[in-house]
Amino acid sequence: MIFRQLWYLVKAAGNNLWTFRGRNLVSVLIIGFSFLVIGIFLALSNNLTYLGQQLSNNLAISFFLDKNLKAPELEYIKSQILASELVDRVTFVSSEDALSRFRANFPELREILDNLKSNPFPPSYEVKLKDKVLSLSAIVYFMEKIKGLKGVVDVQFNQDWVEKMDSLSRIVQAVGFFLGGILILASFFIISNVVRLNVFARKNEIEILRLVGATNTFIRIPFLLEGFVLGLLGSLVSLFILFILIKVFPIYIGSSLGAARELFTLRPLTTEQGLWLVAGGVVTGTLGSVTSVSRFLRI
Amino acid sequence: MIELFHVWKQYQKPHWALSDISLEIRTGEFCFITGPSGSGKTTLLKIIFRELIPTEGQILVDGVNILKIPDHKIYRLRRTMGIVFQDFRLLFHQSVFHNVAVPLQVAGLSSKEIRRRVFNALRQVNLHHKMWDFPQRLSYGEQQRVAIARAIVNNPSILLADEPTGNLDPELAFEIMSIFKEINQQGATVIIGSHDRELIRHFGDKIFFLQKGKIIGKEEKQ
Repeated sequence: MIFRQLWYLVKAAGNNLWTFRGRNLVSVLIIGFSFLVIGIFLALSNNLTYLGQQLSNNLAISFFLDKNLKAPELEYIKSQILASELVDRVTFVSSEDALSRFRANFPELREILDNLKSNPFPPSYEVKLKDKVLSLSAIVYFMEKIKGLKGVVDVQFNQDWVEKMDSLSRIVQAVGFFLGGILILASFFIISNVVRLNVFARKNEIEILRLVGATNTFIRIPFLLEGFVLGLLGSLVSLFILFILIKVFPIYIGSSLGAARELFTLRPLTTEQGLWLVAGGVVTGTLGSVTSVSRFLRI
Repeated sequence: MIELFHVWKQYQKPHWALSDISLEIRTGEFCFITGPSGSGKTTLLKIIFRELIPTEGQILVDGVNILKIPDHKIYRLRRTMGIVFQDFRLLFHQSVFHNVAVPLQVAGLSSKEIRRRVFNALRQVNLHHKMWDFPQRLSYGEQQRVAIARAIVNNPSILLADEPTGNLDPELAFEIMSIFKEINQQGATVIIGSHDRELIRHFGDKIFFLQKGKIIGKEEKQ
């Protein structure tokens, strides 16, 4: 009997989805567009994260060393650099390497070098930082620590970039939390109200079922299934539209943005983000539906 | 047996829809509640199947105080009842068949049994030929008969009907009452709210006269 009733309820949910297809389509679209807004925000935020990573990829710090350091001292400094979690790799550049690199990069200044009696370039350690390093304070702390070692005479890095990157990252995070929070709240509010209106339009049906002896579970299950399907379809619609936007946006809109194009590129969601979006749709649809039905089950 | 003890119902102060109603309807009786419009017939019926909760008083159905049944268990009471609502309360997006089948589907009967019972119920109200029509395509009287078929389809032990013949011609009204009588003869208690004096005189075993929410008289056939 339970399977018979379950089958009946699944059929009822299917029938209702089809019978009220106009209203349900509107619900799906509203859920879809709400999640699309979140999806677009995620895609933009993905891009900023990507840009941040690109910037940090180009980040290098040079520690200039005393020319008279012996091998064990060099090795000690290297080991201290490698001990930091920020460091991806370290390359030793000898005075000779630095000189030849300079000659290669600035051939027009070769004459000046030829007039010098000795090699003016000190040896150095070039440190490449890890991709995900975005904290300026951590980098500064690391630099100060290495600079304090005996034999390290100077340090050079592109502080401008690091500062810009650091503030950009803070802005992205702050805007992300603020806008993301508002968007998620707004979407949940919109969606639960759409579902509520949908249920309200069928309050007579709920009353009739109650009055002919249906249990609360019997009444809730079709609504639960319908809410599930509407939420699922809505979130899939949002992913589909987002996919199209990602394909089309750079072609039709991106070109008019000029230099800002890089910032406003939509970068595809990760699988995990996509799944969270779908899960969000399903949970919102189902919960919105079930909680709305409960209001009419008190007769 | 249905027993009401000092039942009062107030929707809005200071008017009482029901005032101190006490009555007893024995199992198997064919009972009418009559009175002018606004006398409280519908309120009284709604209280018996607990769509409404009285402001004061107690109601026993077969010895069970129905006001003490928790909301989530009220379906047990309602499955023993068949109810014809004054406003029919049909599902307009479902066919006549599905409307009548609802009480059986919620009770978990097999499709075959549901088909058999629905067909029989619709045949009793002479609507079996419109089984797959939708209620909005039916006349007012036909919609009323769908509501009656739904009320009788699960062979209820108590049948409550609020103005079940209000929109039917006298001949059909008589036929519907005969169906109720037949169900009554099978053992069901039938309570009908009506102001059709002709039908009441012809069918009623017990009649309660209501006016302004009070029972002003009672008549019982010997």
